[in-house]
Amino acid sequence: MSHPIKYRITRRQSLKLMGATLAAMMLPSVPLLANTGGIHRKTFAGSDKKLPVIGMGTWRTFNVGSDPKLLNARTEVVKAFFELGGGLIDSSPMYGSAPDVMGYALQELGTPESLFSAEKVWSPAGGAAREQVAELKERWKVEHFDLVQVHNLTDWREHLAALQEMKAEGIIRHVGITTSHGRRHSEIEQIMTSEDIDFVQLTYNITHREAENRLLPLADERGIGVIANRPYDGGSLIKNLKRRNAPLPEWANAECGCDTWADFLLKFIVSHPAITCAVPATTQVEHMRENMRAGHTPMPSPDARQRMADYIESL
Amino acid sequence: MNAWTSYQLQDFIPFTAEVYFRLLERMGETFWPLHLLTLALGAATLALALRHSTRLACLLPSPVWAFVAVTFFFQRYAELNWAGGYVGYAFICQAVLLVVMTLTGWGIDKRPSHTSPPVVIGMTITLFGLIVMPLMAPMSGGSWYQAEVFGIHADPTAVTTLGLVLIMLRGLALWIAAIIPALWLVVSGLTLQALDSTGGAVLFAVLAIALVGLVWGSKR
Repeated sequence: MSHPIKYRITRRQSLKLMGATLAAMMLPSVPLLANTGGIHRKTFAGSDKKLPVIGMGTWRTFNVGSDPKLLNARTEVVKAFFELGGGLIDSSPMYGSAPDVMGYALQELGTPESLFSAEKVWSPAGGAAREQVAELKERWKVEHFDLVQVHNLTDWREHLAALQEMKAEGIIRHVGITTSHGRRHSEIEQIMTSEDIDFVQLTYNITHREAENRLLPLADERGIGVIANRPYDGGSLIKNLKRRNAPLPEWANAECGCDTWADFLLKFIVSHPAITCAVPATTQVEHMRENMRAGHTPMPSPDARQRMADYIESL
Repeated sequence: MNAWTSYQLQDFIPFTAEVYFRLLERMGETFWPLHLLTLALGAATLALALRHSTRLACLLPSPVWAFVAVTFFFQRYAELNWAGGYVGYAFICQAVLLVVMTLTGWGIDKRPSHTSPPVVIGMTITLFGLIVMPLMAPMSGGSWYQAEVFGIHADPTAVTTLGLVLIMLRGLALWIAAIIPALWLVVSGLTLQALDSTGGAVLFAVLAIALVGLVWGSKR
């Protein structure tokens, strides 16, 4: 069956079309993406890869043991995370069965290419770093970890040395250290200065901004990726705002594209230039959707970030 | 920042309330109708203690402690909390302790007086553990599988045993036999408090009343 060509494009029309296309490509992209932009991504640790700014934590939320009902419920959360463009998932041997639950979910869903698996070594879990990583790989059912961190600096010298060896051997891709709750920042600073690490994980949220003083500028200067944990301060931040019925400021949408408190709190974190991603944890698909929406452009400007912090302070 | 003062109770509880209460429910689902047997064992222990067969009464809760150690702590709770295995060993120790006390007769009150304050307190706590605790979850909107029962779940096992030792034992032996149940109730009470459950306050109230009985009962 033939399709007769009804319209022919003249040479003049083709040139006009090409010119218009080139002009469109030169337009600034951000305003066009306002409110409907894709998930924002950032480069990290000298890599060409980009990570989505919203990751997923597993502390408490993914420690469900062998309960089939809860295993399936958490698998749905992981599914939503990947469907919405998620990348980094962070866990630890300290989180009880969370690594096994990740293994269950990945087996059910298949391991997506976008997964950036982040684990930790933690002395009380027993065994050397190498043994812990091997065991955790089996629990996650993955071939390798993209990142292994020394949890809360426990025996960090021994563990970090072992992790560097494993990175050189290609067993793991990146190494890092973690802290939380603003603990041991001077030691973290010393390690960031003296050791060759790819990532640091620390607590950074709109009410805990100590890291802005020294650690975030240092990470920026040395090209170290930063993972922000406790973005909702263990859940208390968002719970308190909702309990008080605190309204979002009227300018929240216009200035930073925020429609919910999740948007407001997470966008504040991930819009800091030194932060690579935040790792909120949740047990619910709906909350996962809220979290992932917060990773979409537009992001607040430095002035808007200050206004956001002042507003929270005023509540 | 001082590292230790920055810790909160929640930082030591590695699971959510949903997971913990599902764990209790799963115990109910898995072992029903064993509940009837363990409750009968608890009631028999109380009856024997009050009828002055205290040595035999001291022995009966022992297998229950071993059962909870294995099925609750080793097989399930330890999946969620690395410290769960250690608590399991403590429950095994309590089982062994009750056997040792039965065999040696150490501290056993052969004729507990039904009117003495520690015995009255012990009876009240035992009945609370056997009858009231299983009803608390269903009465507050939970399912019957969530009912916490002596011999199946850790809290009513500890509460009921605390009541029973107040009836059966005196002097130092009473304190020794009360240590593990009381410590578990502290741990469990704090856990429930961190999970925003009112159950924690109930356990602390039981502990406070038991402490009065312990002080009274330690005077031979």
